Amino acid sequence: MQACHQFRQPTSRRSLLRTSACGFAHVSLAALAAQAAPSDAISSALPHRPGLAKRVIFLFMWGGPSHVDLFDFKPLLQQFDGREVSAEAWKHGSPPGGKILGSPFKFRRCGDSGVEISELFPQLSRHADRMCVIRSMHTDGSAHGEALLNLHTGSSTFLRPSVGAWISYGLGAESANLPGFVTISPPRGHGGVQNYGSAFLPAKHQATAIGAAEIPVAKARISNLGNDRVPRTLQRRQLDLLQSLNHSHLQSTAADPGIEGLISSYELAFRMQTSLPGLLGLEDETPATLAMYGIGDEPTDNFGRQCLLARKLSEQGVRYVQASTDYTWDHHTQNNAGLRRECARVDRPIAALLQDLEQRGLLDETLVIWGSEFGRTPTVENGDGRNHHPAAFSIWMAGGGIRGGLTWGATDDFGFHPVEQPMHMHDLHATILYALGLDHTRLTWRYAGRDFRLTDVHGNPAVDLFRSA
Amino acid sequence: MNKFLLCLTLLAQFMACSSLLAADEPLDHFERSIRPLLARRCWSCHSQQSGKSEGGLLLDDQQAWLAGGDSGPAIVPGNASNSLLLQAVRYSSPDLQMPPSGSLSPDEIAALEQWVTAAAPAPSGRLSGPLSDPADPVAGRSHWAWQTLGSPQPPVVMNTQWPQSPIDRFILAELEARGLQPAPDAEPTTILRRISFQLTGLPPSPEHLQRLQTGTLESALPSIVDELLASRQAAEHWARHWLDLARYADSNGLDENFLFREAWRYRNWVIDAFHQGLPFDQFLLQQLAGDLLPWQTLEQRDQQRIAAGFLSVGPKVLLGVDPERQRMDIADEQLDTVCRVVLGQTLGCARCHDHKFDPFPTADYYAMAGIFTSTQVMQQRYMLGEQRVMERLAGLGADGQTLNDAYEQYWRDRPGLQQRLQRAEASLQLLQAGDSAAISQKLADDADSFTASARDAAIPLPDRVMAQQQHVAELKKSFDNPPAIPPRAMVPVDHDAPVSEHIRLAGRHSDRGAQVPRGFARVLLDADQPPLPADSSGRLQFSQWLTNPQTRAGMLAARVQANRIWHHLLGTGLVASVDNFGRTGELPSHPQLLDYLARRLLDNGWSQRDLIREIVLSRTFRLSCNTADGRLELQDPANRLLGRGRRRRLTAEALRDSVLLAAGQLNLQPMQSTVDYLGDQATAVGSNPIRRKTDYTCRSIYLPVIRNDLPEIFEAFDFANPHLSTGARTGTSVPAQGLFFLNDAMVMDAATATSASLLQQHPSATNQSLVAHAFRRITGAEAAADDVLTMQQFLELTTCEITAAGATDGKAKALGLLCHAIFGSSRFQFLD
Repeated sequence: MQACHQFRQPTSRRSLLRTSACGFAHVSLAALAAQAAPSDAISSALPHRPGLAKRVIFLFMWGGPSHVDLFDFKPLLQQFDGREVSAEAWKHGSPPGGKILGSPFKFRRCGDSGVEISELFPQLSRHADRMCVIRSMHTDGSAHGEALLNLHTGSSTFLRPSVGAWISYGLGAESANLPGFVTISPPRGHGGVQNYGSAFLPAKHQATAIGAAEIPVAKARISNLGNDRVPRTLQRRQLDLLQSLNHSHLQSTAADPGIEGLISSYELAFRMQTSLPGLLGLEDETPATLAMYGIGDEPTDNFGRQCLLARKLSEQGVRYVQASTDYTWDHHTQNNAGLRRECARVDRPIAALLQDLEQRGLLDETLVIWGSEFGRTPTVENGDGRNHHPAAFSIWMAGGGIRGGLTWGATDDFGFHPVEQPMHMHDLHATILYALGLDHTRLTWRYAGRDFRLTDVHGNPAVDLFRSA
Repeated sequence: MNKFLLCLTLLAQFMACSSLLAADEPLDHFERSIRPLLARRCWSCHSQQSGKSEGGLLLDDQQAWLAGGDSGPAIVPGNASNSLLLQAVRYSSPDLQMPPSGSLSPDEIAALEQWVTAAAPAPSGRLSGPLSDPADPVAGRSHWAWQTLGSPQPPVVMNTQWPQSPIDRFILAELEARGLQPAPDAEPTTILRRISFQLTGLPPSPEHLQRLQTGTLESALPSIVDELLASRQAAEHWARHWLDLARYADSNGLDENFLFREAWRYRNWVIDAFHQGLPFDQFLLQQLAGDLLPWQTLEQRDQQRIAAGFLSVGPKVLLGVDPERQRMDIADEQLDTVCRVVLGQTLGCARCHDHKFDPFPTADYYAMAGIFTSTQVMQQRYMLGEQRVMERLAGLGADGQTLNDAYEQYWRDRPGLQQRLQRAEASLQLLQAGDSAAISQKLADDADSFTASARDAAIPLPDRVMAQQQHVAELKKSFDNPPAIPPRAMVPVDHDAPVSEHIRLAGRHSDRGAQVPRGFARVLLDADQPPLPADSSGRLQFSQWLTNPQTRAGMLAARVQANRIWHHLLGTGLVASVDNFGRTGELPSHPQLLDYLARRLLDNGWSQRDLIREIVLSRTFRLSCNTADGRLELQDPANRLLGRGRRRRLTAEALRDSVLLAAGQLNLQPMQSTVDYLGDQATAVGSNPIRRKTDYTCRSIYLPVIRNDLPEIFEAFDFANPHLSTGARTGTSVPAQGLFFLNDAMVMDAATATSASLLQQHPSATNQSLVAHAFRRITGAEAAADDVLTMQQFLELTTCEITAAGATDGKAKALGLLCHAIFGSSRFQFLD
């Protein structure tokens, strides 16, 4: 066998340089998980500079929660409830049409920093000094599908790799037994797998999906991670036979990266069958931890499990973990009741996630992002609902080098448009990459004759959100 | 011809240092990274183009930089630290800092360093000049791909015994030039398996294996190849290659994944076209302009219209998008796809700016875009409760349009019908309650809700109730029984008034520049652009130009398609970047052979089948993946010289189909729609619980291709992403594939069925011969003695264990587990 291997050339000089420059874990994954495609290499060493964060957890609120009811306090809304904005109050020329829907929710200045957060997030509010609320987000696409794709891939028009895939590609996996990108309960609609796909990047960077949005995560499975017909010991013998056939095939020929790749991918698959179910189960967690996340209680059980799972995966070195709610934030009617219901489902789990990461010393190196595809109109729809509003909305980030207790950007007095430090979706993407030590203009992939990047030709990272490195 | 000599020279240079550089092609690196860098940052002061040679140094000629300037040689090949150029760009010495306008980026310096370390390979001669305006269409014609096609003669070779076809002489000549010999032929059964999978996507039939064993390879092969090529299975296999390019899918994908309920007709048209041996020019013509072609019979009209569905099946952003932007996006998607598929050109760049590498100015882009924006693939239709812009459908058959109109009318009227039904039901309830005051009031408010005789107070009430009941029943029947979906297909149509497009500045649809007359890419035009008709889009003329063997476009189309066929058969294109023949694409490994194949395609009246036949009957196609002495591996690690066979993983479709075939479960009958049970939303989302099925037993080409919800085996095994036109699928090896074969129910069911069938067929076979049968059934090859022994041990041990645990069919179960393992093995999954 060794004699054959002596003939073997690396697939490319660059990929050899890259794999040997990135430490043992990377080498073993490159060797085990996938054969590097011939062009699977980037010209410079990554990350471009030491990152503040090592990984990301993105909490996705599918449907578009109302920013003016949650993080962007607008006292004037209540004053104009049921009326159009007057020219006098507007101050920016002719006021937007439509009748205002007031917000009945109280906002509190929380923590030492006084970040304003709605009463609907009582638990999360305790972490205000760890959070940076960005009130000046804006995006493209007033339909969910378009906006979801912009949020996840930076483009609704073309097939592009998702944020997590870019990060997996840019940083490589930390663990030899786990993928670099995992999505928990992803939406099947509004772009579906495209929102976590790798597009033209190598397939190993696409997310491993656990379940789907409409399935309670307790029942979710990673497909084909075992079967109930062949006991594990028998399967091991079966695998030994299979590998023996592969080895005899390999011996009959000169070194063959294809067969070698097959052999190692079976071993990794078999190991994943052992390592992943343990990771997905909650048996190792203390009752106190489960209680903290609200697991076993309603309405927090499902998102609590998702958040805890996100922590476990992140702790094991998965670079990008996304947890998604079901399609439950699209409040075209009964906005207030809907928000009460949905916030109650996620408030405690998210607070627990921040606390848990903090307790384990992981928060500093984990960038937690809470957000959605767009916000909702300050004006009313259907009597008591709000419509889609991509022109302005709020997200927040915590951990991963974020300056806590910060409120960034501002909208006008009614929450229609950003007026300070507007942050486009491309800027958010550039910022996330920045946190990880990646320069969004240099993280590129050559496809169809040109270099592509997550932010296309746009994007400015908001470096002021972070502690100086 | 000079260009080809140049290419050969370059190839020789590449080969000379290939042992140092492995598969990384230095000229590629030069063209992509170094030439643009030199042009941008150095040539303004150091080139013949600028007329300046400051410090006596020219950086646009290899000889010149080796000789150097006043300070000595600028570049010492292989030695970056001793190269003045590197010292200068590193800004390390205060005396020598270049370029003076500002230092290069770390990436650029690293690229230069890498290039110099790799011996600074570059084409010979003057490098500046031709690319001063890369988008210039006329100067652009110097690139090899845009030149006219010659009629290359097969070269003379030393070993005249080896070649069996002109193809072999092109291959052998290149090997001999490097002192190499081709690998030996593969085993006859290996060759048959290769041919069978490459032609049909299925393993060889027992009958073909039998013929091979009783006759010689030479005598048996030609007729086997002819039979395979004429089969429906070959058409299904080759159609799938085309559907990858055509980004075929049964749903829209992107933001709103609406079902393409009728796309399957286009899919089946592609299969039929291959089966009938439709020449490639006709094949293209019908897909690009089938709706505009003359016809004799309705059947012919409909088939041509269905073919043109090629233009409609692309993904589109459907909601929340400005109509003008949508129009430009759709035209862009079509133009980009057509140019990539037919011409191997990446045109999309020119939407926003003149192409930075290839001779496509924005003016040419918008000239062609005008042809597509003058074509309509969308229409207003009523669906899921509202009026939407959807892909255009046209009725098929004599009364297709009438039926289609009636069908659409019904759905537009349906909300009104529902209201009428509800009002009639309310009135019926009043009649049944018999409160005459309430009835009178209702009659005054809403007389129309009553049928005529229910309105008449002179009629006895029970009769009025009956009449109204009948009225309600009729309305309900109409509401509950929408007309059947008429036979229809996705068909484009020309706009009534074609328009020439304006250039859109920076690609922004709302930012109009100069208007450009509709026309073709000038780099591929020898004469002036003939004016396009004022009363049609120009699609027909565009398609005729693309398929005219007398034009540069037709010649390029022939090169691109011949290369695609070669790619599918040999596992790599002569131009490895099969979708990119432009300046950023790869150079052909065998330019003369490529032109020979393209010429053959044209000379045989664009018959793809003839070209496939010629290639698979060549000796080159038969080469073993293994060589005698390892010299080929050492000197040509990437196998660009094709001196040996190339082992490949079976495709997702071939894996699934042959698993089912081994189990006796594959149904070879053609299928029509496999998505007809789905709602208008193609994915299960929100209130829609219905998801695509994959438990069909038909061949994989007929499985539902729902964008963003592909069958699991497609997802795991590198199926082409149907959002994009794909000429070459990626070949990954990821754990998801292992998990699929270890645990998927389809594989395990097939293994169980294979076991049962083997035991039935060989009831009294020894364990030894049973495992040999299993191996042969699944892999189409004979197992080596060692493997037989290993399998036999597995079978016996496992049978014993299962039986001891109380099962009565221990052997059948153990044999099932054995078959399962063989399905997972490289012997089955790879093609030697």
